[in-house]
Amino acid sequence: MRSFWRFMTTGDWLLVVALLAIAAAGLARLASAPGGGRVVVTDGERTVLTAPLDSHNSFELNGPLGLSRLEIDERGARITAAPCPRRVCLTMGPIRQSGELIACIPNRILVRVEATGIQEAAFDLISR
Amino acid sequence: MTSSAVDPQVLSRARRQVFLALFIAVAVVLHVFETLLPTPVPWLRLGLANVMTVLALYLYDGKAAWTVSLMRTGLGALLLGRLFGPGFWLALAGTLLATSAMIVLYRAAGRYLSPIGISAVGAAGHALGQVLAARLLIIQHDAIWQILPVFLLFSVVSGVLTGWLAAVLLARLATHPAFQRANVIAGEEREEERKL
Amino acid sequence: MNWNRPLIVGLLVLLAALAWWRLQPVGGELRQTRLLMGTTVEILVDGADTARLESAVAAAFAEMERLDRLLSRYRDDSDVARLSQSEGGATVAAETAEVIALGLDVARRSDGAFDLGLGQLNDLWGLDQESPSIPTASAIAAALTGTGPAALSLDGLQVSKHSPQLQIDLGGIAKGFVVDRAIAVLRKAGVTSGAVNAGGDMFLLGERPQRPWRIGIQHPRQQGDVLEAVQISDRAVVTSGDYERFFEQDGVRYHHLFDPQSGLPARSCQSVTIIADNVALADALATAVFVLGPQRGLALLADYPQAAGLIIAADGSRHVTPTWAAYRVAP
Repeated sequence: MRSFWRFMTTGDWLLVVALLAIAAAGLARLASAPGGGRVVVTDGERTVLTAPLDSHNSFELNGPLGLSRLEIDERGARITAAPCPRRVCLTMGPIRQSGELIACIPNRILVRVEATGIQEAAFDLISR
Repeated sequence: MTSSAVDPQVLSRARRQVFLALFIAVAVVLHVFETLLPTPVPWLRLGLANVMTVLALYLYDGKAAWTVSLMRTGLGALLLGRLFGPGFWLALAGTLLATSAMIVLYRAAGRYLSPIGISAVGAAGHALGQVLAARLLIIQHDAIWQILPVFLLFSVVSGVLTGWLAAVLLARLATHPAFQRANVIAGEEREEERKL
Repeated sequence: MNWNRPLIVGLLVLLAALAWWRLQPVGGELRQTRLLMGTTVEILVDGADTARLESAVAAAFAEMERLDRLLSRYRDDSDVARLSQSEGGATVAAETAEVIALGLDVARRSDGAFDLGLGQLNDLWGLDQESPSIPTASAIAAALTGTGPAALSLDGLQVSKHSPQLQIDLGGIAKGFVVDRAIAVLRKAGVTSGAVNAGGDMFLLGERPQRPWRIGIQHPRQQGDVLEAVQISDRAVVTSGDYERFFEQDGVRYHHLFDPQSGLPARSCQSVTIIADNVALADALATAVFVLGPQRGLALLADYPQAAGLIIAADGSRHVTPTWAAYRVAP
């Protein structure tokens, strides 16, 4: 490919290397950024709260029956305290996959995981 | 030229129009042909048609480059049945950004660069333009920026490749008598035209 | 080149006008969730006309609420409640009759593994209540009197009960039926891509914009993990598992899927997933197969060639119908 190198000037080299460096920097930043995934809490109609999935957080959610506690950590999002009689919601977590749901029906709290990256959610819905 | 009916200026303009039409035709063929090639991601292409834009830029001027690139985008989309579809707007945005970038760079630093560098910048501009359009029109979500680094990488590589092709062609064509007068005439016109 | 410029400008203006026209908002995905039928019901639709999608979803929810009023055992005025309270039977709405007919068919074919009369048993175990407990053997026996595939008979819209104290519970099939009806409403409204998911019992209408629906099946023992994935288009998917509603006592798990023969939670399976072309059937089959266990469950499913099933047995072994492979995809 001798004819190839014949054409490239120093300016070309600088330009191409600069462009490739920008691309590489972008890739590096992507690799270190949080994977994506978002926790959305609604009361059945309105969105009450959103939070990133890759984080450590604890929230107190208000419902008709009282306070439910939502915790997000590396295992996912789950409800750790609830005022409802059956406490089913406590057994439903932690959720990590986009499309997964935890619901505390008596206290009207819905916790859902949504994908944020353009890499599509692995699954549209989970059958359980 | 001995005949007074054949004004050198008119002849050169005619020659320019004919060649640009030819370039456009070749560019459209390359563009359409590319879509037959298999790619990992649907809209990731080699951008061979860009060779013709670079040729037009070097052999004539920026205006010629615009003519070739815009017509290629429109006619290519028309032939492929994608005119005014979502992919068309992405391609158009890419073309607009790419051609602008190439012309600006050519005028500013054409002395230090070869068609390879110009083409690489064009390819990068094309990628950026497409992602930008996608962000504004299709996926109103900042997550779309995530594909830019990979896209950019592929674009620069393919840009270098097509740039080399353009360089090889230019080496042959630039000395050809068919294009000599055109440069002179176009140079005069370039001073008149402000249009980017 | 003088006359070219106005032409070019004119063309560009035309282009801009066309662009403006084509760039009108294109709709997209609409997702709404409501608390209904004691669970979360999520409707997801995809299409171009947002206004039309919204009205379709509203209509679908309205239909679901109407049917819940008919089929729920927790409402005093529902068909189910009236039936349970009656001595010998009652006249019911056409939809109720349809559900009962399907339920009785599955009950017969599964030799009673599926049962519509477990209302008393469910109340006894109290898994819906605050403190469920293990009932005594005699209490269980009493709750099971009158149950079985022959407990009800249907003649048109007239349901006959052969045991006065029988309490009807359509829980193992009603939710599925309601989802089917919601899908019918969406279809009628012109929706071609959507999903209705009632707490994991779902129907997938059409396909996602670029590909079929990808559904993950919950791993019965590993929370948050997916067991396997299936590719679905215009089908129902229902999973019954022992991990959904349960309480534990002395290290033993007591869950909500009872064996109508023993009155105790069925022990043969960890989870069962059924794919069928309607949710009511998938719902009933999932419950029946869960009770029957892998061998007898697969035999039952052989009677339903258009259905596919995945069974995770109690020992963790995996069993599938021959029809399952067509749906499975790499997770």
